[in-house]
Amino acid sequence: MWILKGDSYELLGTWRVALLRGKGLGLELVFAGRELGEAFEELEARLAERPGFYRGTSALANFGNEPASSDVIARLQSLLIEAGIELRAVTGSSEIEALARDCGLTYESGEIHAAPELERRRALRPRGEVKLSESARSLVADFAGARADIAQRRRRGEASVPQLELAVQPEPSEPERSRAAPLHVVEAPPPTLYHTGTLRGGQALHHSGNVVVVGDVNPGAEIVASGDVLVFGRLAGVAHAGAQGDEAARVFALDLTATQLRIATFIAADGENAPRVRSVPEAALVRDGRIVIVPFDQIDQLQERGISSV
Amino acid sequence: MHQLQPSFENAPERAKPLGRAIVVTSGKGGVGKTTTTANLGTALAQRGASVALVDADVGLRNLDIVLGLESRVKYHVLDVLEERATLDDALVADKHSEKLFLLAAAQSREKEEVDTEKMRALILALRERFEYVLIDCPAGIELGFRNAVAGAEEAIVVCTPEVSAVRDVDRVVGLLGNRFRPQLVINRLRPLLVKKGKMLSVDDVNAILRLPLLGVIADEPEIIVTTNKGEPLALRKDAPTGAAYHAIAARVAGEDVPAPMPVTKETFFDKLGALFGGKKA
Amino acid sequence: MSSRKIVITSGKGGVGKTTTTANLGATLAKRGKRVILIDADIGLRNLDLVLGLEKRIVFDLVEVAEGRCQLRQALIKDKRFESLSILPAAQTREKDAINEEQFASIVDLAAEAADYVLIDCPAGIEAGFRNAIAGAAEAIVVTTPEVSAIRDADRVVGKLNDRGKPIRLIVNRLRQEMVRSGDMLSVEDVCEILSVELVGIVPDDEEVIDTTNRGEPIVLDETSRLRPIYDKIARRLEGEIVPFTNFDQPGFFGRLIDALKAG
Repeated sequence: MWILKGDSYELLGTWRVALLRGKGLGLELVFAGRELGEAFEELEARLAERPGFYRGTSALANFGNEPASSDVIARLQSLLIEAGIELRAVTGSSEIEALARDCGLTYESGEIHAAPELERRRALRPRGEVKLSESARSLVADFAGARADIAQRRRRGEASVPQLELAVQPEPSEPERSRAAPLHVVEAPPPTLYHTGTLRGGQALHHSGNVVVVGDVNPGAEIVASGDVLVFGRLAGVAHAGAQGDEAARVFALDLTATQLRIATFIAADGENAPRVRSVPEAALVRDGRIVIVPFDQIDQLQERGISSV
Repeated sequence: MHQLQPSFENAPERAKPLGRAIVVTSGKGGVGKTTTTANLGTALAQRGASVALVDADVGLRNLDIVLGLESRVKYHVLDVLEERATLDDALVADKHSEKLFLLAAAQSREKEEVDTEKMRALILALRERFEYVLIDCPAGIELGFRNAVAGAEEAIVVCTPEVSAVRDVDRVVGLLGNRFRPQLVINRLRPLLVKKGKMLSVDDVNAILRLPLLGVIADEPEIIVTTNKGEPLALRKDAPTGAAYHAIAARVAGEDVPAPMPVTKETFFDKLGALFGGKKA
Repeated sequence: MSSRKIVITSGKGGVGKTTTTANLGATLAKRGKRVILIDADIGLRNLDLVLGLEKRIVFDLVEVAEGRCQLRQALIKDKRFESLSILPAAQTREKDAINEEQFASIVDLAAEAADYVLIDCPAGIEAGFRNAIAGAAEAIVVTTPEVSAIRDADRVVGKLNDRGKPIRLIVNRLRQEMVRSGDMLSVEDVCEILSVELVGIVPDDEEVIDTTNRGEPIVLDETSRLRPIYDKIARRLEGEIVPFTNFDQPGFFGRLIDALKAG
């Protein structure tokens, strides 16, 4: 992700854990599990990306178990005020609660929404909380640990898919510099991998970029892509899109009955056991901090509405 | 490679084109690979083709039992590969079918002792003298599997109508790739259970496997009996299961014969179930 | 009391190792033991399927061995039981992805958190089999009363004897009516050929296929006749002397009744 600093671009790095999450009518700024300096940089960059976009919204700062001080709060508040965001409340450990009292802020207790759920939507749902079924809720706790681990690996720089090597052009020498314009490094998008044929159990496709399978993906097969995954057939195995952290990645299939779906650090599985009859192609994407499934013709509508996580 | 000496009376004439080498495999154990190999081989031989059956399950040999030939095995595959015996010494003539021969596996050896290249050469040597070489593959996807597949040009994949079998077979089909043109035999179907929704149907199985179907064999107690006694059911051409194997053999031979399907009448086990379960078919 | 590490093996494929591992594990868990089941069949994993847990797999045995995650993260807790977890095998890898030492140390690790560690062994006697038995201190050999299965079991018993591990036997899928008609070996015949301590006789039951397809171990069904059978096996494992169910009843009706009911 490129940041304009002055009159040249700087590579900031790929987004890691979700920092801004749309939560109903407000923002959640997630500092939990992150190094504070880094988190602030990312936040500044995000806000700078779309100046004025968040004006008028309120935010909840989620520190989790991270420590914070009144300086941190002050810095955060000034940053948010510039962007027109009100710091509504903070949440986190009991230290945070004490800090909130000292700074005159509202403290919210309550669990941080962790693992996502697979939702079936025949009609478009309005923004707002979606009810989890009993079996779905039971999966939440399971995945929390695994998801946290994947997030950790992401932070450490490990990815399921190898990162692209960017070749950097050398600095031009003195005489050249006066003649030619400074060279910019351009990140070319990785090619899409096309696989024709059915992916059988035990086979795996790992690719930097998007993956398209023209055929079925049988149970026991696995696709891991840094971009989108598109199956022109039945997806019954495990698909991991956005494996380097891109939460905007999506999984499409003509018949979406995956054993498990993963997008960035979100994991979800169908709570029910009975196979459902699918009549339309569907897409899975991250929305409001969880993986949701929509019929293909409603994807656009979903992305128009409100603040999504990317 | 040995000098081939057709020294026994039933030796087939050297055919010009190479015989077909077909590996019978599945991944999952216990689905009926050995039974299928024995019965298909018997049916092909009964139809007049010359057939060699090779047991590639080193250390866990069973093809000889299923054919009732265990007492006649003098030399096995490793004896031939390690040049302690010739093919002629090792090939055992079948008790029932004239043109059927068995090359048994070693029982007290390990699969790691088989040299893949030599195995390939052995299969080629067999193809020079037999119209069909059927290779009975061990369970799994390890070295034993790879050795069994070496030298084969086609594959028959055997699957039972169970979720775990389908998963394993799918893996094997993936490993085989397109080169072997695998075809499917579904074994141990219980039509009544399928009807009751308690067993996968043929369509369920092939929805995942997507293979050309050779035929479907129903589960019958006779199968166990005949394997224990060493008399393959394919010898009884007029009985349903025997007929099914003959139909499969015909299809393998390229005849346009419909794939055998079990009749939806009750099997012996189904009748027992109905009698005591209080439910009628 | 130190925990027990038992490998469930057979040699012949398809005789019921995975089903036995799942049901025995479930039964022990129901009796209050902490149980961890390990699927050692890399590349052909089925234990997760048989327990209906395949959708919850995030990490597997190979990833634990490679240090990419902790054992506790890979363990999947079966919610139907108080204390039953499974460590799934990897599906997209081969059996050489792990060696005997690695497997044994993972089993030891699991043993620290469980009373019973049951290892579901792959079919055959190759590397996968050797890895699986490397981790175990005892073995249960599963066989059906058929000549080919017994022959393979015999080979396996020989290999286990070489490694000095105590062995017990389960005779699976018994069809008493076929024994009586002489078409199937009797339990006595089997025990005599294998000379191994018998720990269970499980009759054939057509419900098993459906339950494995649905991912619900049959011992969850209170009406199943197999439930008390597995319970007896668990008790024998614990050292209790439990008489074997007598499947041999005289008379015509006795013969037919046996096929469907058992005590």
